[in-house]
Amino acid sequence: MIEYIIRRLIALIPIILVLTLVVFSILHMTPGDATVIILGSEYTEELGAALRKELGLDQPMLVQYAKYVFKLLQGDFGMSYVTRAPVMDQLSVRLVNTFWIVICAMVLCVSLGIPIGILAATRPNSVFSQSMMVVSLMGVSMPIFWLGLLLILLFSVYLGWLPSSGMDQGFLSLILPAVTLGFNYMANIMRTTRSSMLEAIRQDYIRTARAKGVTEHAVIYDHALGNALMPTITIIGLNVGMLLGGVVLTETVFSIPGTGRLLVEAINQRDTPCVLGALVVMAFCVAISNLIVDLIYAYIDPRVRAQYRR
Amino acid sequence: MADEMKNTLEIKGLTIQYVTGDEVVHAVTGVNITIPVGKTLGLVGETGAGKTTTALSILNLVPDPPGKIISGEIFLEGEDVLKMNDKRLREIRGNMVAMVFQDPMTSLNPIKTVGEQIAEGIKIHRKVDDKASLEQAKSMLELVGIPGGRAGEYPHQFSGGMKQRVVIAIALACSPDLLIADEPTTALDVTIQAQVLKLINELREQSRMSMLMITHDLGIVAEVCDTVAIMYAGRIVEYGTLEDIFDHLRHPYTKGLFDSLPDIGNRRAELKPIRGLIPDPVNLPPGCAFHPRCDYAKPECSQQLPAIKRISDMHYVQCHLYADTDMSML
Repeated sequence: MIEYIIRRLIALIPIILVLTLVVFSILHMTPGDATVIILGSEYTEELGAALRKELGLDQPMLVQYAKYVFKLLQGDFGMSYVTRAPVMDQLSVRLVNTFWIVICAMVLCVSLGIPIGILAATRPNSVFSQSMMVVSLMGVSMPIFWLGLLLILLFSVYLGWLPSSGMDQGFLSLILPAVTLGFNYMANIMRTTRSSMLEAIRQDYIRTARAKGVTEHAVIYDHALGNALMPTITIIGLNVGMLLGGVVLTETVFSIPGTGRLLVEAINQRDTPCVLGALVVMAFCVAISNLIVDLIYAYIDPRVRAQYRR
Repeated sequence: MADEMKNTLEIKGLTIQYVTGDEVVHAVTGVNITIPVGKTLGLVGETGAGKTTTALSILNLVPDPPGKIISGEIFLEGEDVLKMNDKRLREIRGNMVAMVFQDPMTSLNPIKTVGEQIAEGIKIHRKVDDKASLEQAKSMLELVGIPGGRAGEYPHQFSGGMKQRVVIAIALACSPDLLIADEPTTALDVTIQAQVLKLINELREQSRMSMLMITHDLGIVAEVCDTVAIMYAGRIVEYGTLEDIFDHLRHPYTKGLFDSLPDIGNRRAELKPIRGLIPDPVNLPPGCAFHPRCDYAKPECSQQLPAIKRISDMHYVQCHLYADTDMSML
C-alpha cells in the first residue's frame, strides 16, 4: 500500500510538468505584456526593455520555461513579476482562506448530502424526499455567481445576519461562501447517493440479508450503504477539482483574498510565476484528493484492496 | 388432511399480483401447498411460472411495490406469516424458515467476509456475541465442506460452487424448520450441482428439516422430493406424490415437461419440446392458461377454467380432460 502511494506521488511529477508547460505556453501567447501592466503610465520603451531583461522575459520561451521548471523541482515557485516577492509567500497566506472555504463546503455537503440522499432513496415518496430532489435539481443547474449574489442579497442586505465580503469575521464570513461554493457539490452528492442507494437496495444480497431477519435499519446502513457509497466517494473526490474551479468565482463574488482571486489577478497582470504557482498547488490538491478517494475505495471494498496487494 | 400442527408449511389460496402502472401481472393465482414435517415438496415449472414469487411470500419478502399479496394464508407451523408484524417476521426469517437463493454470485454481500455473513443470522437469532457467533459460523462453513479458516475471506475469493455452499451455510446457520431452495444448482456446473444436491440432502436428513425445492429440473425432483407441484402461469396444474407425478401423470403440461427430456436409450428420437411459449402473465389466455400450447385442448378449454379434480388423496389435477374420468387421457 505504501509503495502504491509513493508510485502515485511520483506519477504526479509528469502531470505537473505538462500542466506548467501548457499554462506557460498559453500565457506566453496571450497578448499583453507584464511590463506594460507593471509600469502603467510610466511605461517607455527603455524602461520596458530594462524591466523585461531584469525579469528574464527577453529570453526565448523555452529557456524561460526550463529555468522555471528547474527551480520548481527544487520547491521554489519563483518571484512574482508584480510584487517582486516570492510567490510562495503570497500563496501561503491566500491558501489558508481558500482551504477553510473548501473544507467548510466539503464538510457541509458531505454531512448533508449523504444522509439526504439515503433518505430520498429509502423513503422515495415522502414530501421531504420529493422537495429535496427539487432542491438538488436547483443545485445542479444554478450558476455559482448568481447563487452567491442572491445569498448576499438575502442574508447580508435584507436580513443583515452575515457579512457579504471579506474574511474578517471568522467563521461567520465562511458561511455564505461555503454554501455558495458547495450547493452544486451537495446536489451532486445527494443525487449520486440516492441513485446508487436505490441500485444497492435492489441487489440480491439485500434480499439475502432480509431473509436472515436483519432489521430494516441494519439492511440499509450495514448492508446497502457500504456498497452504495462507492459512486458517492467518486463524486466527492472528482468534484474537488470542480470545487477549486468554483473557488475562483466564489472568492471573486465575496471579495475574499484567496487562491482563486490571486489566480484571477495574476492572469490579469500577466504574472506568469504567480499563475503557475496557484495552478500547481491546485493541481496538487486535486491529485491528492483523487489519491485519497482511491485509498478509501480500498478501505471499503475488499476487491479493490486485493488489487493493490498484487 | 393432516392436522395443521403436523405441517411445517401450509399455503391456502395464495394469490399474488405485481401491479405496475395500469398493468397487472398475475404471478400466482390460488396456490395451495402443504409440506408435512421432514418432507420435501418440489415446485416445478418454467421460468416465469411464479415459483420464486411463491417462495418469497413464505418469508413475506415479495417486493412491495410492485408486488401485492391479494389473498390467501401462509401457515408456518400454524402461524399465518401474512398476519405477522415486522418484529415477528424478523424472528422467523432465517430462524424458522430460511432460503437458499438462485444465484450465488450475487446473493452474497461483496464487502463483508463470508464469516460475518454467516454469523449475522446466528447473532440475531441465538443472541450470542460476535466471537461466539463467528465460531459457530466457522463450524457451519466446515459443515458445508469449506475449511473454517476461510471465514475471514470475502465472496470474490470463492468459486461459484463454494459461494453456493456459503449461501447454504447462511440458510442453515440457525437450523430452520423449513428450507426454501430456489433453484440452488441452476447457476452451477453439473459436477458441482451433484455435490450441492448431495450436501443439501445429507444436511436435511440429519436435521429432519422440511424443504421446498424450486426447480425446473425433473432429475433433481426425482432425487430429493417426496411430493411434487407442477406450476404453470401462476397456478398449480398438477400436484401429487413423486410416484403420482413420475408414473401416473395426468396433466398434458406435466407430460410435456417429461417429453422435453432427452432420452438416453433412444438418441435418434427427436426432442419434443412443448410448442409455443409461456404466456404473457399480463394477458393470460382465458380458460385454462395452457390451452394454446396443449395438444389435447377441447373447445371448453379456452372458455372455462377447469375445476380441480382429485385423483386420489394426494394427487390432483386441474384439467378439463378429467371432468368425468379418473383414468389417464394422455
